[in-house]
Amino acid sequence: MNNLKSLDPKWAWSPYRPTADRPWDQPMAAHLFRRAGFGASLGQLKTAVEQDPLEVVGEMLNPVDLQQTTQSEFAEAVLAGGDPKQLGAWWVYVMLQTPTPLLEKMTLFWHSHFATSADKVTDARAMYAQNALLRAHAIGDFRPLVHGISRDPAMLIYLDSSTNRKAHPNENFARELMELFCLGEGHYSERDVKELARCFTGWELRREKFRFNRYQHDTGEKTVLGKTGRFQEGEVIDHILDQRAAPEFIARKLIAYFIADEPEPSEQLVAPIASRLRESSWNVGDAVQHILQSNLFFSPHAFARKVRSPVDLTIGLLRSLEGSTNATQLAGSLQELGQGLFFPPNVKGWDGGRTWINSSTLLGRANVIGRLVSDPKTRFGGGDLETYFGQLGAESNEQIVDILLSLTVAVPVPDAVKRQLVEVVSRPGTRNARIAEAIHALGTLPEFQIA
Amino acid sequence: MNRTSTRRSFLQSALGSSAVISLGATAPAVFQQAMAADNKAKETVLVVVQLSGGNDGLNTVIPFDDPVYQKDRPKLAIPSTDVLSLADGLGFHPSARGLANLLEDDQLAIVQGIGYPNPNHSHFESMDIWHTCQRKRKGNPRTTGWLGRYLDGASSATGGDPSAVHLGAKKQPLALAADTTRVPSIRSLERFRLQDSGDGDVRSVASSLVQVERDNGDPLLSFIQTSTTAALDASQRVEEVRRDYQTPVEYPDHDLATKLRTVAQLIDAGLKTRVYYLQLDGFDTHSQQAAAHAVLLGRLGGAVEAFIKDVSHHGHGERVLVMAFSEFGRRVKENASEGTDHGAAAPLFLAGSKVRAGLHGQPVSLTDLQDGDVKFHTDFRRVYATVLENWLGVPSQALLGAEHKPLDILSV
Repeated sequence: MNNLKSLDPKWAWSPYRPTADRPWDQPMAAHLFRRAGFGASLGQLKTAVEQDPLEVVGEMLNPVDLQQTTQSEFAEAVLAGGDPKQLGAWWVYVMLQTPTPLLEKMTLFWHSHFATSADKVTDARAMYAQNALLRAHAIGDFRPLVHGISRDPAMLIYLDSSTNRKAHPNENFARELMELFCLGEGHYSERDVKELARCFTGWELRREKFRFNRYQHDTGEKTVLGKTGRFQEGEVIDHILDQRAAPEFIARKLIAYFIADEPEPSEQLVAPIASRLRESSWNVGDAVQHILQSNLFFSPHAFARKVRSPVDLTIGLLRSLEGSTNATQLAGSLQELGQGLFFPPNVKGWDGGRTWINSSTLLGRANVIGRLVSDPKTRFGGGDLETYFGQLGAESNEQIVDILLSLTVAVPVPDAVKRQLVEVVSRPGTRNARIAEAIHALGTLPEFQIA
Repeated sequence: MNRTSTRRSFLQSALGSSAVISLGATAPAVFQQAMAADNKAKETVLVVVQLSGGNDGLNTVIPFDDPVYQKDRPKLAIPSTDVLSLADGLGFHPSARGLANLLEDDQLAIVQGIGYPNPNHSHFESMDIWHTCQRKRKGNPRTTGWLGRYLDGASSATGGDPSAVHLGAKKQPLALAADTTRVPSIRSLERFRLQDSGDGDVRSVASSLVQVERDNGDPLLSFIQTSTTAALDASQRVEEVRRDYQTPVEYPDHDLATKLRTVAQLIDAGLKTRVYYLQLDGFDTHSQQAAAHAVLLGRLGGAVEAFIKDVSHHGHGERVLVMAFSEFGRRVKENASEGTDHGAAAPLFLAGSKVRAGLHGQPVSLTDLQDGDVKFHTDFRRVYATVLENWLGVPSQALLGAEHKPLDILSV
């Protein structure tokens, strides 16, 4: 049982120092790369264990050239076509190629937090612009991100705020701003929702751009969360972010994202991360670094305590084996498994954890892995699986299975399972096809679904 | 194959399929009796249709004569000349033709003014309240739903068939979450299986791999292991019962109708599943409501009407009950975006040949409001109590966490 309740917060958030029972070794490094990104190849892991773990975490947060990491030319081609489904393929490609996976992992975090679906927005350019906004602030400051999202055309379309008149304020955005984006349910009243909606009257879209329409703005006094004022030009957003519940809400979500799906962390465990957010003027990168380098992160309370999202599952498999594939196909597979990029299910985003798992998604996960590895367009280190595992130094079928498991599964599988996988690789036929079948079989394993 | 299916097969081969289709009218009495005895032995089935987003109850069952309705909905009010008349001053939205038809056939019960005290206006919180019958309390996560708790008590009676099935690709509703029962989600019968890649046989390898004993107390891993076993078992069962399903009933061409057709197929195939759960999304009509809401009501009515016809045609009419609910209704006053914001009480619908057809409960008042919302007068848990006690045949108090008096809305 993963008991986060009785943990000492001071120990939990102190920086990790390798010890005899928690050494900085390949499995530990693989854990870090899975959580802070989408897995690592054998070569990356070997390099990482030669470094100091805190240094490895620090490098993950280094600033990057956004132009370069986001494959702008690919994006432009997609935008010229105008199909938002193709944006998913672009992002898959970025996730597979990026030298800074943590940035994409956090952009994905915000995509689920400020969930907006192209199903309703339909405009690929608006969705792309929102994605760029999320990435620009992904490991930066939360405050400008919230201000930005409040004026973001895709969000305004998604939450019906593209027209907002003072006579009949629309409550949709006001409610979600407090419930889902900043505070959490239970930290505001219905009256706050109505008053906050008045603050956003006159915020609208004109020719696909944000515009403040002063004729439709309610300039009267409002009382929101215990404070009375006119609340002009987004002042009310700062007032919401100053609530005690705000950094706690975000800290809790970050901890769940990086540490464990369940159980919910205690208030004492959340408090130090919340204070860091408050004291650093909402610097998210600082909080993320603090979480990733912590004792708690490198402990059994975090190891293999998360259900893999479809992105983690597929991109993770490919990145661990230096794979490349047909990005359009993979984007479609993600949709099939319940995580269509740019198409979150509703404004609450993806709930994650156990909700990823049901009969259809379990069968689907195995089917997707099977299709992925048998697709001739999928290459590993530029070649086929047999050649790739040869390059990794695997000589026997046992070694192939050992390396495969060490790169793709966080928890040890029972010996009987390992023997059966070796048996699959040893069957007659080409070795390449046999390794693909073993990976397909791996896709059905309960152990493969967590990380 | 069990005995009852064999008997069905015999009937089909003896009469030919066209004769079976018109069985009710022309088949010899002896066959009709065989068919009736056949279905009597089978248990009741509950089909839940969740209307996600908050259905505008006031524009579904419309108080068209009420001056407040006309005044508060300058853009969205449905003119009295357009409504499908129900009772004095009440009528269906013109697109809810399917519901009106069901009512005419005495197959629809409309339960008015359904809700709960201190209504929550968050989609997610209100839906969780409907799903779990519990309010949120700090440090006390809600892990099981009202149907999940029912399933945990009843799962042994289905002879290997899943005791409930969720139709759809989205995440499962919390209503079905249980301590031990794992409910399969089926998107389509055709895709609900492991596909082989190359010439391998992944199905037998997978079954053998998942059966290997894992000795650890990790709840997450054992949840996934039991879910994987359930998925493989259910997919094998679906494979067995999957066959060309014949029905003279024409279903409309949309997702809800296709899913209900699948439910009819599974029921007719003899699955012992007691609960089916489906979702229809899109009711969160904050903006430009009129067109979207009309489409949704058309879909709901058309699909349920076809489904009830279909199961009746196949002789299962008396044991199928459909319940359609939403997490809340919407504000009385429309907003500036020609939409409506989150509200509270709303009507709930039950369909099937065993309902006491017609309107139940008092119409809601548009003048006696709570913060701009219509007040509820009947707790939704009384509907659940009715369904559990009078339809599924189990005591409801433990499952709902409190005693709720069943309503007199079923004729069983």
